[in-house]
Amino acid sequence: MSKLLEIKDLHASIGGKEILKGVNLVINEGEVHAIMGPNGAGKSTLSAVLTGNPAYEVTSGEVYLKGQDLLSMPAEVRARAGVFLSFQYPVEIPGVSMTNFMRAAINAKRDYEGKEPISPKEFLSLMREKKKLLELPDKLNNRSVNEGFSGGEKKKNEIFQMAMLEPCLAILDETDSGLDIDALRIVAEGVNKLKTPQNASIVITHYQRLLDYIVPDFVHVLADGKIVKTGDKSLALELEEHGYENI
Amino acid sequence: MRISKGEIFERVFVNEEVNLQIDQEAGSHVKIHVINASFSITVNQLGEGCITEIYGLENLHGDESVTAETHVTHAVGGGTSNQLVKFVLADNSRGSFIGDLKIAPDAQQTEAHQTNRNLLLSDTAEMRTRPQLEIYADDVKATHGASTGQLDESALFYMQQRGIDKQKARQLLVNAFMKEVVETISDEKIKSDVLLLFEEEAF
Ligand SMILES: Nc1ncnc2c1ncn2[C@@H]1O[C@H](COP(=O)(O)OP(=O)(O)OP(=O)(O)O)[C@@H](O)[C@H]1O
Ligand SMILES: [Mg+2]
Repeated sequence: MSKLLEIKDLHASIGGKEILKGVNLVINEGEVHAIMGPNGAGKSTLSAVLTGNPAYEVTSGEVYLKGQDLLSMPAEVRARAGVFLSFQYPVEIPGVSMTNFMRAAINAKRDYEGKEPISPKEFLSLMREKKKLLELPDKLNNRSVNEGFSGGEKKKNEIFQMAMLEPCLAILDETDSGLDIDALRIVAEGVNKLKTPQNASIVITHYQRLLDYIVPDFVHVLADGKIVKTGDKSLALELEEHGYENI
Repeated sequence: MRISKGEIFERVFVNEEVNLQIDQEAGSHVKIHVINASFSITVNQLGEGCITEIYGLENLHGDESVTAETHVTHAVGGGTSNQLVKFVLADNSRGSFIGDLKIAPDAQQTEAHQTNRNLLLSDTAEMRTRPQLEIYADDVKATHGASTGQLDESALFYMQQRGIDKQKARQLLVNAFMKEVVETISDEKIKSDVLLLFEEEAF
């Protein structure tokens, strides 16, 4: 099993306030890591820092993706190299259609891989196939990115984009929040179908329920900017029962 | 010029400075687009039930400086006017919008809208907006709005997170901003020409 992501003593701050205070984590290909932890612990900050959000400042530490220095890559290059974030709060982009957005994303990745732009026919059939996977309506193509989508539709749309881009490292930041029971199953099944021995995911959640569907190999507790406990899936059950008090 | 009773006057000016003084007779319809050029358009609705539409779209670079000026007067009631002017300002460009809207005391049941939206793409670009509304009739529906902002950083990051480089992301956002104006052009051929004009531009 080879190492996909390695985070070494990562410190990061926003607006001069230190949020991540020394995160260490190794993720191998094929693994699913759940990250749980109290509100404000820094889970979304970790996602933002790994994906190169310019609002955050990395003050020290190192991160390697397949041995490459991740922190030195611009955000879009990290994405093309296969790092994908399902946003806790997906952004609405009025006036930019899902079709134009998705085509730009796919072609950016193909260009990075030295491939020709996707043909219109191939693109449309790929969109159709992946929409089916998430049980999304056909009319999605012409709508603006996330504009007017319900909370659940936005989350589905994140996983749809993940299905389109087939990342090697997917970070799902509270993808389960706001989903009804059927949508949760559809989204979880979608994520499971995308799993391969070569890719890995980080699943950030507050609820054990999601982990019944997406079974993690490891569960980490992030509290006050650090991973304070790591266990297997039984840790999630334990947390569900006793909360974070004893940790 | 005078647009006679029931007549329709429709023009799209691209890269061409425009200076127009128009008197509208009852039931006439004026629809003007100005793309990428300064303009000064004065319209007087002199008869009942006139429709006036003025659209401006200014995409400025370098040291370009453009002034968009409208003077719309509803002298008689029952008319409609709609103004939508958008500026995209890059580099050191300068834009200004002066919009006068008058509704005379007798011009009851007038509907008048004036909107000016501007996008600043650099710290050194500058936009001045001076709307002036004089409404003397009481049974009217009038709205006006003016705003100047920057590209949405969270939308830019969202797109970058999907692999789209910053320049392309900016282009998608700017095109989305401009589309609202372009889409009001009636003639499909002209509309697609204008879209092409902006398509390949970098921001
Ligand atoms: N722009 C900002 N300025 C100052 N503090 C910020 C800013 N953004 C986030 N923070 C703070 O950083 C801390 C970590 O936030 P983060 O969103 O990473 O938490 P989280 O673990 O994802 O929480 P949740 O479970 O509620 O999603 C919080 O205390 C938050 O208030
Ligand atoms: Mg969060």
